[in-house]
Amino acid sequence: MAVTARNLRWPWIAIGISLAVSFAMAMTSPADDVQGDLVRIMYVHVPSAWLAYTAFFVTFVGSLVYLVTRNLKADRVAAASAEIGVFFTGLALALGMIWAKPTWGVWWTWDARLTLTAIMFFVYLGYLALRRTTDDPVMRASRASVLGVLGAIQIPIVHFSVVWWRTLHQPPSIIRPDGPSIQDPMMLATLIISVVAFTVVYVSLMFKRIELIHLDDERRAVEDSPDRPVAGEAVTVPELGAN
Amino acid sequence: MTAGFWHQVRAVIDRDLLRERRSGDVLWITIPFGALALLLVPLAVGTDAELLREIGVGMYWVIVMLFGVLVAVGKASKETIPQQDASSLLGLDPAAGFIGRTVSSAILLLAFEVVVGVVAVGLYNLDVLGPAWLILTMIIAAIGLALLGTLTASIVNSTSAGTALVPLLVAPLSVPLLLGATQAYDGLRYGHAIVSWVLLMVAVATVVAMIGVLTARPLQES
Amino acid sequence: MSDPSTAPAADPEKAPSSADAAAAPLVVLDGVGVRMGSTQILRDVNLEIGPGEVVGLFGANGAGKTTALRLIATLIRPAQGAGTVLGADLASPDRYDVRRRIGMVGHVPGLFPELTLAENLQYAGRVAGVPTVRVPEALAAVGLSGAADRLAGASSHGMQRRTEFARELMIDRSLLLLDEPHSALDRNAVDLVEGLIERKAAEGGAVIVVSHDRDRINAIAHRSVELAGGTLT
Repeated sequence: MAVTARNLRWPWIAIGISLAVSFAMAMTSPADDVQGDLVRIMYVHVPSAWLAYTAFFVTFVGSLVYLVTRNLKADRVAAASAEIGVFFTGLALALGMIWAKPTWGVWWTWDARLTLTAIMFFVYLGYLALRRTTDDPVMRASRASVLGVLGAIQIPIVHFSVVWWRTLHQPPSIIRPDGPSIQDPMMLATLIISVVAFTVVYVSLMFKRIELIHLDDERRAVEDSPDRPVAGEAVTVPELGAN
Repeated sequence: MTAGFWHQVRAVIDRDLLRERRSGDVLWITIPFGALALLLVPLAVGTDAELLREIGVGMYWVIVMLFGVLVAVGKASKETIPQQDASSLLGLDPAAGFIGRTVSSAILLLAFEVVVGVVAVGLYNLDVLGPAWLILTMIIAAIGLALLGTLTASIVNSTSAGTALVPLLVAPLSVPLLLGATQAYDGLRYGHAIVSWVLLMVAVATVVAMIGVLTARPLQES
Repeated sequence: MSDPSTAPAADPEKAPSSADAAAAPLVVLDGVGVRMGSTQILRDVNLEIGPGEVVGLFGANGAGKTTALRLIATLIRPAQGAGTVLGADLASPDRYDVRRRIGMVGHVPGLFPELTLAENLQYAGRVAGVPTVRVPEALAAVGLSGAADRLAGASSHGMQRRTEFARELMIDRSLLLLDEPHSALDRNAVDLVEGLIERKAAEGGAVIVVSHDRDRINAIAHRSVELAGGTLT
């Protein structure tokens, strides 16, 4: 079976256009009255956080579908989404910290959303670590799917627990850690367009990642030819040296 | 779940507790390690009595969550492939195996909590408030952590990382147990609501128990 | 490649009874392949074993004999082909339901080292639903009455294997899989193993024996198959 390269081009074009539009609007939208130009981080931070949650929801759905149908395609969608989700979660956390330091004077605040995002990051790092340690595709899909469902179902419980915890332990500072309220229509429009643009980036990356998975499957199919030697053929009759 | 199912559960519990009695891993290694960790904390943060009293309960539960995973993983991880094959060919229902291992882990975890709890009370001068509520939260925490540990041990079984991966998987998912246990104590201390936190812990345990039982056979089959 | 199920018996006097021969086969493998990760271990395996049959399975080191046994024990899923064991499809979850009727004494003992030999059998009995009063009798049958309270981890390999044979005496099995059963056993225990094999076949069960000792196995088996190149001949 020959390996066919699909090499979809449109995802890269879509990513390029989306990021270009988002960047242009972020650079031309007005500065914040209090934070100045620092507020422009919001146009990457907020969409990244949105994508993180979306990606992990897709992982949950893919995992559930696999457990019910045993269709490996569902597992691959779950895995691809988790990879992208971990990246954007890390990005959201990093940008959040960069934004927090000059704004609030601290790298980190223990507000519910940030704390939950950090916990989710580790849950899905664990998911990817599990996938890396399992060679057999069916075993990998089964194990990862259970973890994908377990992690996702636990997230709302974790969310409630952290929100209640923060409700009891509000920081004494008057600074509200849930970000500025957006009143300027241009800023709001920029934020919405950024969220849409990043969603296009996510979908495009999913297509490319799944394309890579298909290519890998085709490579395996080539390697799995009926004439491929079995493991036992590596063991031969011992040959004692001359004399 | 027939009467035979629960006999199998009981057989697995007895097996694991007997193995622990003979090997003494939890009693002689994990519990002392947990107590040692409590001893190390003041060396790092300072010995101010009021500070230690303030953070003592939190430190205790963090140690339970992190070290407790070792208790939960220890029994399950010690089954070799031939042992698993033998149990499987005896007709051991995977769900019965899961429940049995969880119960035995929960019993050992409770022992861990009690002994390390006594050490924490002594070292950090903690008040033992509302004993009934404390015992309840300890029991639910033990069950919840045992469920998480046993389920994730099944997930990583036969993978190349093995049980080394379990703490990374369990720790973030045990956050509601951690918060529930610490906030329940704060509730006793400052008069906040306790029931909601206890119910949160029960919710965690229930969700994980359902997932564990439902996926026991698919995980073994994979 | 010949179909081993129609090959002549190694010794006509040792052929299964006609009643057994007419009954449904206990093991049917049709073009089965097994992979571990990306490594192909078995390929295009065809095998049929009926009630009352004793089949020897031979092959070089690394040929996949233990894998074949674990496949027939329903502990491994086939990657290619199809098969049934005791009527259960190897690819379906139903194979769990027949495991209780399959006995296997593997190359590596599956006892718990922290339990005594007797406690290991009691655990097995409790899980399998067999009265644990049979434990002393089973240990006596394998000559381990005096070592019942010895920890499995402190027992020799041969003693652990005897204990596993005791387990198989306790539990009613339709299919018995033995991986190098003579390994680590003294002469008396070897006789025990062969007695167990003959008894199982007489009861209408089937036995598959993996061994390097061809002469000894051919003396008791109805036929033998060779595993080479990942397939049976």
